[in-house]
Amino acid sequence: MEWDYGYQEDFTAPTSGLFVINEGNFQYGNATLSFYDPLTHQVENEVFFRANAMKLGDVAQSMLIRGNVGWVVVNNSHVVFAINTTTFKEVGRITNLTSPRYMHFVSDTKAYITQLWDNRIFIVNPKTYQITGHIQCPNMTMESGSTEQMVQKGKYVYVNCWSYQNRILKIDTETDQIVGELQVGVQPTSLALDAYGKLWTVTDGGYEGSPYGYEAPSLYRIDPETFTIEKKFMFAMGDSPSEVQLNGDKTKLYWINDAIWSMPVTAETIPVDPFLPAQNTIYYGLTVCPTSDDVYIADAIDYVQQGKIYRYSSDGKLLDEFYAGIIPGAFCWK
Amino acid sequence: MSKKIGIVCLLFALFAGAMAQENATKGKLGRGVALHDVIIYGKRPLKEIGTQKTAFDSTQLKENISLSMADVLTYNSSIFVKNYGRATLSTVSFRGTSPSHTQVTWNGMRINNPMLGMTDFSMIPSYFIDDASLLHGTSSVNETGGGLGGLVRMTTKPANADGFGLQYIQGVGSFNSFDEFLRLTYGNRHWQVSTRAVLSTSPNNYTYRNHDKKENIYDENMNIIDQYYPIEENKSGAYQDFHFLQEAYYNTGTGHRLGLNAWYIQSKRELPLLTTDYADNTAFENVQREQTFRGVLSWDFLRSQYKVAAKAGYIYTYMAYDYKRDVGNGIMANMTESRSKVNTAYAQAEGEYYWGKERLFSANLAFYQHFVETKDKNIIKIEGGNAIVGYKKARPELTGSLSVKWQPIDRLGMSVVVREEMYGSEWSPIIPAFFIDGVLWERINLMAKASVSRNYRFPTLNDMYFLPGGNPNLKKENGWTYDAGLSFAVGRENLYTLSGSATWFDSYINDWIIWLPTTKGFFSPRNIKDVHAYGVELKANASFCLAKNWTLTLDGSFSWTPSINNGDPLSPADQSVGKQLPYVPEYSANVTGRISYKTFSFLYKWCYYSERYTMSSNDITLTGKLPTYFMSNIAIEKNLLFSFADFSIKFNINNLFNEEYLSVLSRPMPGINFQLFLGITPKWR
Repeated sequence: MEWDYGYQEDFTAPTSGLFVINEGNFQYGNATLSFYDPLTHQVENEVFFRANAMKLGDVAQSMLIRGNVGWVVVNNSHVVFAINTTTFKEVGRITNLTSPRYMHFVSDTKAYITQLWDNRIFIVNPKTYQITGHIQCPNMTMESGSTEQMVQKGKYVYVNCWSYQNRILKIDTETDQIVGELQVGVQPTSLALDAYGKLWTVTDGGYEGSPYGYEAPSLYRIDPETFTIEKKFMFAMGDSPSEVQLNGDKTKLYWINDAIWSMPVTAETIPVDPFLPAQNTIYYGLTVCPTSDDVYIADAIDYVQQGKIYRYSSDGKLLDEFYAGIIPGAFCWK
Repeated sequence: MSKKIGIVCLLFALFAGAMAQENATKGKLGRGVALHDVIIYGKRPLKEIGTQKTAFDSTQLKENISLSMADVLTYNSSIFVKNYGRATLSTVSFRGTSPSHTQVTWNGMRINNPMLGMTDFSMIPSYFIDDASLLHGTSSVNETGGGLGGLVRMTTKPANADGFGLQYIQGVGSFNSFDEFLRLTYGNRHWQVSTRAVLSTSPNNYTYRNHDKKENIYDENMNIIDQYYPIEENKSGAYQDFHFLQEAYYNTGTGHRLGLNAWYIQSKRELPLLTTDYADNTAFENVQREQTFRGVLSWDFLRSQYKVAAKAGYIYTYMAYDYKRDVGNGIMANMTESRSKVNTAYAQAEGEYYWGKERLFSANLAFYQHFVETKDKNIIKIEGGNAIVGYKKARPELTGSLSVKWQPIDRLGMSVVVREEMYGSEWSPIIPAFFIDGVLWERINLMAKASVSRNYRFPTLNDMYFLPGGNPNLKKENGWTYDAGLSFAVGRENLYTLSGSATWFDSYINDWIIWLPTTKGFFSPRNIKDVHAYGVELKANASFCLAKNWTLTLDGSFSWTPSINNGDPLSPADQSVGKQLPYVPEYSANVTGRISYKTFSFLYKWCYYSERYTMSSNDITLTGKLPTYFMSNIAIEKNLLFSFADFSIKFNINNLFNEEYLSVLSRPMPGINFQLFLGITPKWR
């Protein structure tokens, strides 16, 4: 068997663009990273591999950028890679994580990394790539532990707890302690903070037969100041809403529920018609360009081939489409 | 009237375990070479009319005590063995189908795991199997339903011992691997009793160059100043497998035969880390433990015109999977604690009746009752207290068949099989199969065979009930399979034998069940693909007597197995239609050569798999490559014969050319490695 490894390509990525985080298949180590230039409509796939001559790993979960460094969380490889967002070359890595999901920067020297199957949120120093501490989450065992996406308002970071959980946790970033928790529906999947300082989360409702409960999913608007639910929008039983996203000025909400849906954050009811109907597609990832408001939707197709990304204008016109990697599940704007 | 061509050739010099095994039962070891009859019948057994069968002889099965059936099938058959690493899950699939389309029987009892549908062949030591054969495609309907790809049939046999016998073999290999085999036998005119035990242990920490990751070297400011591909150990790969097999057979001498087979397995295996895993393996524990008992009681009554038989059996399997990590204080905390128990009761009755010498009627009815309990996760409920995520289900399964086999003239045979199956409360439609064969040219025993069948496979219990994701609304997979082929066999006494076959097959499988991720974050099975699997299988065997005491045998097979997704595109973006299924090699081949001189023998084994796709679209990417690989093993053996005992010494080299290869993405395989086996067979008289 011949190995054609070892060759590293030199990239110079444009100053802005879109990273597509392709999960790959669980246990196959075939996660990849793609980079799309919205101006030229050019896409480069497998950029991590091509720039570093090594694999990204198993189940790439999320990515965020701070400065000119991108932090790619690779869940089942137990690693977070730091890459230069222009060359895509690795600049460092954080290891010894349990099952990392998302990363959030509190400062240049402190970040949180949420975990699945762990009742702790890891505190790391991104400068040294070292784990510096943990935040212990209440009423959670290692086996049922799940912390996910994070948003920050003031000195507080809010975290949704998803797998066999039903809570939003509130962390004081000065003390690294949980200072509050809010019960929502079964399994909140994602979290966003709108222009008016309100939190949004959507639950998936669990699944039929789950001993944790099975209910109609809901979209929640939460006031982080009082840490109470302001509004609850219910979906039909059996629906699977996910991926709450906001447009550039954070006044319009988008999510996946078979089709793609959107509504102003001030709306009182869920719209009757979707932004984009499903067309034998398996919409798996969603993002909105913070500058153009173009909507990018990932179709995983059959989950074992390169997924396709569709780019729509904010009024629903198809602008571009391209293939990325296996199971494109997350995006990150540069 | 059978026409026996009767070719007798000096064949097969003694081979490590094989002959030692054989002679342990006879109480003595023959000097030099064994006589092996190759008998070719102009009139073949009625039972095998039209069947496509690959049989394994004891030389192949007993070649090495450390081999699993997965290893035997890799080097001696055309079916695809998907190997997740040394001493880890190994599944087999026929003709481009999936592992759950392969039915597996042991002493007549189906042993596919009712939760998963498939069988782990790495957990079946070849030394515990005395007779094995593959029934390809349509031919599996003769034995059971659901074998959309085929059936692997394994049996044990009476030891044919006269008095007490003992055999002990010790194996020592690379990576601190130790294999021990003990067999005790006793036999007389009525009784044959055998006890076998195998213990295999290894830390399995072979090293390999990891091409999938790099190690960083940092300066004092945490800037990367260099990187390199590390030489890594196979982390978390240790195993300890113990097998115990007790057999007793009683032959009344009046046509009645009673048998007992009881097989116990205790296994503890760590699950190796992927090549892309950056975890500190000392901080994690990833272990699978299994205890399995399989027992079969059998009764046969034989008369010249008919046979009746009954079997009763029981299977118990306990599987535990623990995934733990050190939370920093040395205490390993559970991340996953999964448990499953399967209890299966089995009963079977069958009868055969020969109406003259040209007709055979047979009937078979088998019943299985499964009780399954799984516990996959311990959670805290919303209202407080704990709950287990899992399921508990029972399912009866019934499979019965009627068949008529007819040979109106010596050169022509036909067979019809009608089978019916029930899983739970659901019945399959009638499963029909038709076989025909004929001798075209007696001189070279040129024979043509053809068959056709319809078959169904019911969803497994996990497919239907696993939490989360089980889908009780799944439909049965179903398909048509067509086979046609030619075979020949020629030879000359004391000079050579030559045989070969070519088979074309064509299968259409609809409503193929695959597990796909859902937007809720878990996997769920769905009936998705319609698959067209077709191709050609070629087999050849040659044996030569080169000179006095010198023999040479060559076995080989080649398969061409396109397995094409024929379904409708899932969306306009779907690029998988018309493409080869992932992980199914289009071409595969193997060759085994053996040369022997008196008590010395040399074996060379070679196998080849073409590139396998990892994507349904057949795109080949940098991260999704499973290139072609060739594998070569050699073995040298010498037997030493004394008046008080026989000794055997054998040396194996596996992966002779130290090939870096993968069978599955991110699962490293060992490089060149060595094994030494010493065997002793005392002579009591």
